[in-house]
Amino acid sequence: MPRNLVGYAVALVALAVVAWTVRSYFGAGGGPAGGAGGGPAMLAGAPAQSYAVKTLSGRSDSLQNYRGHVVLVNLWASWCAPCRSETPALEELYQRDRSKGLVVLGIDQGESSAAAAAFAKEMNLSYPILVDEDQQYGRAYAAVGLPTSLIVDPSGRIVRGIDGELTLAEMQAAVDPLLHAQ
Amino acid sequence: MRAASGNTALALGAAAAGIALVFAQDVAPAWTGYHTWQYSAALAIAAVAVGGYALGARKGEDGELGMRLTFAMTGALVIIAAGIASGLLGPDTETVQRAPGTVAPLPDVGAAAFFPVAGPATIASGDTSISLRRRNAGELEIAAGGRQFVGATVVESVPKPAAYVEARDPGGAHLTITQPTNPSFLSPVLLFPQEVPLANAVLPADAFATPALHRQIKAFYFSKSASTAARNHGIAGREAVLFAVDDDSGQLLPGGIGFALSGQAVDLGGVRLRPTLGTYPALVISAVPYPPALWLGGALFVGGLGYGFLRGSPKRRSAENGPPAAAIR
Repeated sequence: MPRNLVGYAVALVALAVVAWTVRSYFGAGGGPAGGAGGGPAMLAGAPAQSYAVKTLSGRSDSLQNYRGHVVLVNLWASWCAPCRSETPALEELYQRDRSKGLVVLGIDQGESSAAAAAFAKEMNLSYPILVDEDQQYGRAYAAVGLPTSLIVDPSGRIVRGIDGELTLAEMQAAVDPLLHAQ
Repeated sequence: MRAASGNTALALGAAAAGIALVFAQDVAPAWTGYHTWQYSAALAIAAVAVGGYALGARKGEDGELGMRLTFAMTGALVIIAAGIASGLLGPDTETVQRAPGTVAPLPDVGAAAFFPVAGPATIASGDTSISLRRRNAGELEIAAGGRQFVGATVVESVPKPAAYVEARDPGGAHLTITQPTNPSFLSPVLLFPQEVPLANAVLPADAFATPALHRQIKAFYFSKSASTAARNHGIAGREAVLFAVDDDSGQLLPGGIGFALSGQAVDLGGVRLRPTLGTYPALVISAVPYPPALWLGGALFVGGLGYGFLRGSPKRRSAENGPPAAAIR
């Protein structure tokens, strides 16, 4: 009788393991939230990656240095026509809201400092410009085109990722709630 | 050790064959044959042989040894069932290749794979670890060439050819590289996802653009063996990339085609290109038998064999039953 009991117990455990095995093929589900497979919009909620690159004056700077501010990160290049047409609105937004703690951070993608500096001078830009020759920010922010913009909150978390050219009204709508919440 | 009957030997042989077939999934998980009906049928035949023997043995059809071996047979059945479940229910083997700096959701694994940003030095060394972040579980690092078991899957990191490309204009100014056909639009790392027949070989191929100069550039990866076969003395026996530089309308530019070795700059079609060749990992995800089922089944099988043969051996039995009758006389 004890041997029978042991036998039944072993059979029961074996059946349970087989059932659990079968279940394991149905229980994986999706990946963690905030995956970035489909463009910058998928980055909402993720921590903003930061890389040290050169400024127009040649010193090192990174997004990390603007922690504590609401940051509108704008990825651009001088050859990109929509970037060129969007730039005046970025400058206007920066002038309007810099006193409220907003930073507009332009990050040139893949070009030399000379090309970025010429563009900044031509467009009369006063907001900080970084020169990312290795396109690290563009890769990490899942850019599917230029321009690409990201709204980063003071804690360094991405609130929104936006592909394409923005109007001033769209920029204001994106940053105003964060500025008011400060 | 007590001699086994013909039925016992047959059942043990079927159990061993079934277990070997199942463990093969852990040894070479990427083989597509595990998801065929032939593989499942082979395991099912082993299961019927083992299960039939175990049922008969429980009724005493194979004596005391058969009764004892039912534990081992149960363990074999658990392992074979895990193998059948993996073959029938597990997802087909999938290769996930992503650009550096991107994230890929892996629904079959219940995780997301983070492919780290890679510069020229990392591509050249090929030493890149990919991290898997799972819901309610710790982060897993998969080193280049390594593997990790995650639930009922195994995730392997397999090095694939890659090139970090730097582009400059004739004045030496750095140029933006874009990959309009790649989900990672701004990546200067080519992963050569296509295969193109060229120069009597099938070559990994990719394409990118330098919009500032209105150039579209095709890149074909030549491994050491492919470059030797190409009979070009400048690249023989070394890894190289063949670039073909077109204008915006897709017309090949004069002087727009040529080879570049790793780290070597070439001027082609008005653009200076310098590739750094190496590898960047892709993830190969394969279904495997659920590991806890293998551990339990394996323990039952090995323990059951010991219980059956060692406890059933004449020497052990004589010790248990006292001295033989001849010794008493």
